[in-house]
Amino acid sequence: MSHGPSATTAAAPAGSPRARVTAVLLRQDVILLAVFIAMVAFFTAMNPVFFSRFAFANILQDWAPIILLAIGETYVIITAGIDLSVGATLGLSGVSAALTIRSLHESGTGGSTALLIGIAVALLVGLAVGAVNGVLITRVGLAPFIATLATMGAGAGLTLVVTGGVQIAGGPPEVIQLGNTQYLGLLTLPLIVVLVVLVVAWLVLHQTRFGRWTYAIGSNAFAARGSGIGVDRHLIKIYMLSGLLAGLAGVFVYLRLGSGSPTSGQGQELTAIAAAVIGGSSLFGGSGRMSGTVLGALITTAVLSGLILIGVAPNWQQVVIGVLIAVAVAVQQISARRAQKGAGRG
Amino acid sequence: MADAPIYEARGISKSYGSVVALEDVDLSVHAGEVVGLVGDNGAGKSTLVKVLSGAHQPDAGSLHLDGQERSWRSPHEALEAGIETLYQDSGLCPDLTISGNVFLGREKLRGGLLGKLGLLDHRGMARIAHEELDRAGIGLTEVRRTVKDLSGGQRQAVAIGRAVAWARKVIILDEPTNHLGARQSGEVLRVMDKARERGLGVVFISHTLPHVLQVTDRIVVLRLGRVVADEPTSSFSPDTLLKVITGLGRSTADVIPEDAPA
Repeated sequence: MSHGPSATTAAAPAGSPRARVTAVLLRQDVILLAVFIAMVAFFTAMNPVFFSRFAFANILQDWAPIILLAIGETYVIITAGIDLSVGATLGLSGVSAALTIRSLHESGTGGSTALLIGIAVALLVGLAVGAVNGVLITRVGLAPFIATLATMGAGAGLTLVVTGGVQIAGGPPEVIQLGNTQYLGLLTLPLIVVLVVLVVAWLVLHQTRFGRWTYAIGSNAFAARGSGIGVDRHLIKIYMLSGLLAGLAGVFVYLRLGSGSPTSGQGQELTAIAAAVIGGSSLFGGSGRMSGTVLGALITTAVLSGLILIGVAPNWQQVVIGVLIAVAVAVQQISARRAQKGAGRG
Repeated sequence: MADAPIYEARGISKSYGSVVALEDVDLSVHAGEVVGLVGDNGAGKSTLVKVLSGAHQPDAGSLHLDGQERSWRSPHEALEAGIETLYQDSGLCPDLTISGNVFLGREKLRGGLLGKLGLLDHRGMARIAHEELDRAGIGLTEVRRTVKDLSGGQRQAVAIGRAVAWARKVIILDEPTNHLGARQSGEVLRVMDKARERGLGVVFISHTLPHVLQVTDRIVVLRLGRVVADEPTSSFSPDTLLKVITGLGRSTADVIPEDAPA
C-alpha cells in the first residue's frame, strides 16, 4: 500500500480490538454469573433447602427443557425472529410421544421399541411445526410473531383435541426409568443429552457457516442475500431446528413425569425467550451468544424454583417471567444506546 | 484500449410493463479501464446495473464476458463468473466483523478433519481479509473490529474493499461515493485506481460529476434509456458533460461530435 495514513485508520481506537471484544463478552457473562450467584445466595438465605444437592438436581431437571427451547429461541432471535410456538410444540410432541407409546405398549410392543418409536414421533411433530413456521414466514411472508402465534394456538388446541384435555399415562416402566435414573448423583440421561446438544449448538452457532449466516441474516438480510446466502432456506432450517428442540424438550418432560401432560408447555415459550434475552440476545437480531443463553436459562430456572421454595404461589411465575423479559430488554436498549453514542464517527 | 473488452453488453433493452427502461443500449469495459456511467434520475442506470450484475434479465440484447456470450439467471451466477457489484444500499452486516463481512457467503473452512466437520478458519479469514483490504488500498485493516463500530465512510471502504478483493474480472460500483465526505470519497476513488492497476474492468455509476471526470477513462451517458454519448473522459468538460446528461441548453450535436459512436 503506497498512500499515507488514511481517514479510516485515524478513527481506530487504541488497544487490540480482539482484547477489547473479549473483555466485553467476558464482562457480560461475568455479570450474568454474578446475578446467578446472588440469586442462589438470596434463596438460600430465605430457605436453606435451596442450597442442597436435591434442589440443584431439581433445578437442573427443570433447566433441561428450558435450555432446549432457549437454544432454538437463541438461533431464531439472532435472525431477528421470534418463536412463540415452542411451548405449544413441547406440549403437542410430549402427548404425541405418550399416546404413541401407550398404544404400542397396549398392543404388546416391547418397552424399548415403543419408546424409540414414540420419541421419533415426537421429534417429527416438532420438526413439522417448525417447517410450518418457516414456510409461513418465508413463503407466505408472515411476520415471525404472527406465524408462530398462529401455530402456538393451533398446537395448543391440537394437544387438547388429541388428549381430550387429560393426562396420558399408562406407558411401559422404561419411561420413568429412562427419565429419572441419576448418574453421579446429579445427571439423568436427558440431562446428558441436553449437554451434548448444547455443545453442538454452541459449535454450530459460533464456529460454522450455518451460525455465521444466522447472524448475517439477523444483522442485514439484504446484505446476506446479496452475498449469495439462501436466506429463506436458512430461515426454514432455523425454525425447524427450534421445532425439533421443542419436540426433544417435550420428550424429556414426558420421560420425567412418566405421562404426557397437555398443559406441560404452557407459558414455556416466554421462559425460553426470557432465558435468551437475559443471556444477551437482541430482539432486533444480529446478536446473541450460547453462553449467555445457558446462564439466562439457569437464572430463570433458579428464580422459578426459588420462588416456590420460599413459598410464593406458582401463579406468580408468569408475572416474574414477564418482569424479567422487560428488565432484560430495557438493560439491553440502554447499553445499546450508550454504545451508539460511543461509536466512531470518522 | 485496442484489445477486446473484458465485459460487454450489446443492444440491451428492458421494459417494465409499458415503461421502457433501456432501449438498445451498448456498454463495454476493458481490463484496466474505469468506465463512468452517468445520467439523470430515471435515465436507466440502475436497470443497466441490474442487467450487468445478473439481478434482472434483459428483454433483448446479449452479454459477453471475455468475448463469450453469457447470460445470468441470478446475481450469484455473475458473482461466480468474477463480476462483483456494490449496490447503493446493499451494505454490510453491522453485527459481523470486517473479516466476517469480507468473507460473508464465502466463509473459509479449516483444513483437515475440523474443516470436514464444517468449522470455520477464523484466523485464516482474518489474515486474508487483512491482506486483501491492504492490497485493495483500504487503510482499514483491523479486520476483527465489528462493522457496527465503524463510521459510514469506513463501512463504505470495507464494502468496496470486499468487492475489489473478490472481483476477478469486473467490478460495478453503484454510487459508491454517495453520502461520503470529501476525504472518504478521495479514498474510494483511490481504491478504484488500485482496481484498475490490478487489471479489473471497473464500471463506476455516480451523480457526482467531478468524481466521474477525475477517475474514469471513458464516460457513457444514458438519457431516457438510451446511450447518448460514449466518449473518452478527456473529451468532456464539466459543463459539456452536464449538458449531455440533461439534454438541456444547446443540442447534443453541439457538444458531441456528429460521428460519435452511440
